[in-house]
Amino acid sequence: MRRVLAFAVAIAAVLAMAVVVGACGDDNNDNSSSTTGPDINAQGEGQLNTVNWEGYTDSSFVKGFEKETGCKVKDTLAGSSDEMYTKFRSGGGGQYDLASFSGDASLRAIKSGSVAVLDTSKLTNYPNLAKKLQVPTFNTIDGKHYGLSFMWGANVLIYNADKVKPAPTSWAITYDPKYKGKVTVPNNPIQIADPALQFFGQKDPYSIDQATLDKVKNKLSEQKPLVRKYWVLATDFEDLFKSGDATLGAGWPLMTNDLKKAGMNVKEVLPKEGVTGWADSWMLSKNAKHPICAYKYMNYVTRPDIQAKVADVTAYSPANLKTCEVVGAERCKELHVRDENYYSAIKYWKTPVAPTNYREWTDTWNQVLG
Amino acid sequence: MESGTRLIRRRISRALYAHPRGRLGLLLGPAVLWLLIFYLVALVLLLMTSLWQQDFFTADIVRHWTLSNYDKVFTGQDGLWLKIYWRTVRLAAIVTLIDIALAFPLAWFMARIVAPKWRTIMFLAVVVPLWSSILVRIFAWRTILGGQGVLNQILVDTGILNHASSAFLYNERSIAIAWAYVWLPFMILPLYTALERIPDSYLEASRDLGAGVFTTFRRVILPLTFPGILAGSIFVFSLTMGDFVAPQLVGGGSQVLGGAIKDRFGVAADFPFGAALAMLTLLTLMLFLAITRRSGALENV
Repeated sequence: MRRVLAFAVAIAAVLAMAVVVGACGDDNNDNSSSTTGPDINAQGEGQLNTVNWEGYTDSSFVKGFEKETGCKVKDTLAGSSDEMYTKFRSGGGGQYDLASFSGDASLRAIKSGSVAVLDTSKLTNYPNLAKKLQVPTFNTIDGKHYGLSFMWGANVLIYNADKVKPAPTSWAITYDPKYKGKVTVPNNPIQIADPALQFFGQKDPYSIDQATLDKVKNKLSEQKPLVRKYWVLATDFEDLFKSGDATLGAGWPLMTNDLKKAGMNVKEVLPKEGVTGWADSWMLSKNAKHPICAYKYMNYVTRPDIQAKVADVTAYSPANLKTCEVVGAERCKELHVRDENYYSAIKYWKTPVAPTNYREWTDTWNQVLG
Repeated sequence: MESGTRLIRRRISRALYAHPRGRLGLLLGPAVLWLLIFYLVALVLLLMTSLWQQDFFTADIVRHWTLSNYDKVFTGQDGLWLKIYWRTVRLAAIVTLIDIALAFPLAWFMARIVAPKWRTIMFLAVVVPLWSSILVRIFAWRTILGGQGVLNQILVDTGILNHASSAFLYNERSIAIAWAYVWLPFMILPLYTALERIPDSYLEASRDLGAGVFTTFRRVILPLTFPGILAGSIFVFSLTMGDFVAPQLVGGGSQVLGGAIKDRFGVAADFPFGAALAMLTLLTLMLFLAITRRSGALENV
């Protein structure tokens, strides 16, 4: 009898603790953040924690920032919007000060109440951003700015020009059995938008019905046996190309740039069927522990000379139009800084909500992987 | 002041001396509390989370009690998750068998044949790799099995293959190889202990009674080392069921349970569904342990 009682007490204690610990995880959904930013001329907090895409905290410009401001940058890299969003929100959301969200994560961050409204009067380069990137729908809601536009670009077809001849002009090559075992594509549910746009005529590939989703699933399942590996980080992609395990795939200009620097004959193309892409914004955590350093970093990386350096690393297009004054007309054209047609041709990542939602996309993607 | 603290100390020690139960409580308390919070409470939280849902847009947990996650695990998506589950169990079983086959001769050699001074060196050779990161040890297999890897180079140089094959890396086979390699010490060590304990006289007696090598192995050595094999199998099987590093580094597209769970938690932020999958792993391992226990093999380890 006594043992039964002791057992019951132990169970009750465990349950009680579970409830207590579980309750601690409750999110603070207070949306009344002030729009007055910190004094950006004040001394920084000495540290800045970021979670961002590869290349956005490259040492070629971060070192200068650390020297200038005394803010030590601790970066965590993410390979997909999902991963970045999950990391950013882990542990209650105070772990990271800044994230470089693409459009398919930025609205999620805003709606979940995990990012702060930015004070554009403290963002020194804001007036020089392209007009369309000052108030884009992916970071500005009801006139409130939750993000500072940074870089944008397209998901391109990358190929090893020594092995893939003639030069491809169509995404169809990534479904061609001739290249069985030589293809690599991102391990990312948002990838579903690509075939939807390129093969099933969806003008808005992020808003597709169940029938289209099923067709995309079949198309991607057809592709699976050809795929050597679904890449997660840009470095995975680059390793696959360097080791010869993959000769073509869908990636970002960053990889073409890196592989060229490594001496490979790698080229990229925007295939005729069209491309998806992304426009990234720096967003500040509502629970940021180092807001001064965060504002300083946002101001630093949107400076024209630093935007030029980020472009050197990533080959993405800078948001600040004044970058052209630093890099010259030719490079400016190469980076499509002012090219409206190029900009508007890209279908930018956003989170699907209807008719099929992102959970259905994730489920479908898992079925493709098997 | 000095005498005051001494007085208190003396009182405490006297109280502890008079109450052995209090003494025991103080000694065990911290450890029990630790287990309670970080083990039992965590498990209960996992179970509770698996009965909740996720908001697909914000990824917030919706605390609405439902069995839908388990429904999805067992019947959803054309049996996708069960397929992944069985794939993982099959791989774990294969890896365990490979490790038994590899570890047995090695452990036999270490325990019964080699000279004692070499034994220490062999022991170190088995244990030292465990000090390096598992990431590095699995990554090494990429440089061995890859398109321009060591294996392909040898095969092409010797003319066995015309051109480098891509069949060695980024598939289930390469995952199994990497797992069999990294978990091997966990099989060797218990097997070594079991083999070392068999008295020579048993083997001599078996031979005197007319048993051949095979019969001695089957009827004397195997039953005596069975607990060691089982202990090693528990390690290897459970480590395999939960690992996500090997599938990520050397796996292809097809998912295994550890990787799928890691992605639910670390990428998709679908904690509830991830928790349901984790419960499935947990139940499998508990079942495996229960069977092992019932077989009585653990009683003389």
